Amino acid sequence: MEYYVYQDFMLHTKNIAYILMGLFVLGFWGFWAFMTSRDEEIHKFPEHDKE
Amino acid sequence: MSTENTTKSYMTPANIITGIILAIGLVITVLRFTKGLAGVTNLDQNNPWGLWIGFDLLCGVALAAGGYTTSSACYIFGLKKYHSAVRPAILTAFLGYALVVFALHYDVGRPYRLVYPIFYQPGTTSLLFEVGLCVFLYVSTLAVEFSPAMFEWLGMTKIRNAITKLTLPLTVFGVVLSTLHQSSLGALYIAVPSKLHPLWYSPYLAVLFFVSSIPAGLSMVIFEGTLAHKPWHHMMDKTHLDEHEGVILGFSRGAAMSLGAYFCVKLVAMAYDNNWSYLATGWGAWWLLEVVGFVLVPCLMYAIGSREKNIPLIKWAAGLTVFGIILNRLNVSLIAFNWQLPSSERYFPSFYEIMFSIFIVTLGVTVYRFIVSRMPIFFEHPDYKDAH
Repeated sequence: MEYYVYQDFMLHTKNIAYILMGLFVLGFWGFWAFMTSRDEEIHKFPEHDKE
Repeated sequence: MSTENTTKSYMTPANIITGIILAIGLVITVLRFTKGLAGVTNLDQNNPWGLWIGFDLLCGVALAAGGYTTSSACYIFGLKKYHSAVRPAILTAFLGYALVVFALHYDVGRPYRLVYPIFYQPGTTSLLFEVGLCVFLYVSTLAVEFSPAMFEWLGMTKIRNAITKLTLPLTVFGVVLSTLHQSSLGALYIAVPSKLHPLWYSPYLAVLFFVSSIPAGLSMVIFEGTLAHKPWHHMMDKTHLDEHEGVILGFSRGAAMSLGAYFCVKLVAMAYDNNWSYLATGWGAWWLLEVVGFVLVPCLMYAIGSREKNIPLIKWAAGLTVFGIILNRLNVSLIAFNWQLPSSERYFPSFYEIMFSIFIVTLGVTVYRFIVSRMPIFFEHPDYKDAH
């Protein structure tokens, strides 16, 4: 890609950086869900479990 | 569990090798201070910072980050289930920083002037001043944080109890200082955009150094705990042994998230500088080895290990992360530094420099062995059980 002015360069690199950041937010959500998926469930309302 | 010396012979293979390395270190000390830096190092005008900065200082500081990560987890975030890991982590951090300062006396041209920036002529606009001040203050903080174990060993109850009351402010102070100087060490290299390869150079080097110090510290606690578990198993009390697995599992989760964050910051820094084209070069392959092999792979190993409660996998991930952090610091300070120079002008450490770094590590292990064999590091002193 050719850059004619500094604005072109900034626009291009910031576009990619912001897309990456959005992907990372989703990625972290999935990563945490994967890592904790086998944790024992915390029963906040044990009386409901009895029903 | 006993703190008394046994009648075992000291002439073990490990002790003999340790003795030989320490003797070589003494010889290098004499040579360094009689013949100067030129007599023992390959440093020159192009490469004024060599292995002693790249390994002893940058790696030493990064791997000593376990002190602030563990104590902040326990005392600031209130995760008391990690309490048994605090003293070993503080000891490792204290020894790490003390040896950084010790090694620095060999590396600076006039070591007797090392205190000048602090007490005589502060250069408040210099990053090196900030690093020096932080390291000076943090070594002092770690010494105070570590001292209760020593006072318990010496039976000095009053001073031990007085210092224990300072635990929380000392922890907060330690985190602030670590945030400052871990990042400043990376910021030092922002001044050399033309010398450092673009794949490792970034205006975000300060952020990268600080973020990477978190998994480095957590991994070092796991790594050191693993190494210490066999020789000092008899020194560990029930609490320490019971909490050991929980510490590894909890820290592996923290290390996975922080390694993931470090990986993301690396990619964002690369995106801002638009350095993608360098990935297709030989340097790019080396960068990918560092980032994929020693950041992304251990990150996934930590996550899988934490999910499956697979302790051996987590220990391997800790080893890979420690190696990866060392590789990163050496890449920034030595390997990718002056990358455009012809190979004849590139720096390679001399035999004395390599042996001195081995001497420093051996000295640290020797002092560590001396302390954990005597002081209440892996166990709670019987007189102070539940006193915290």
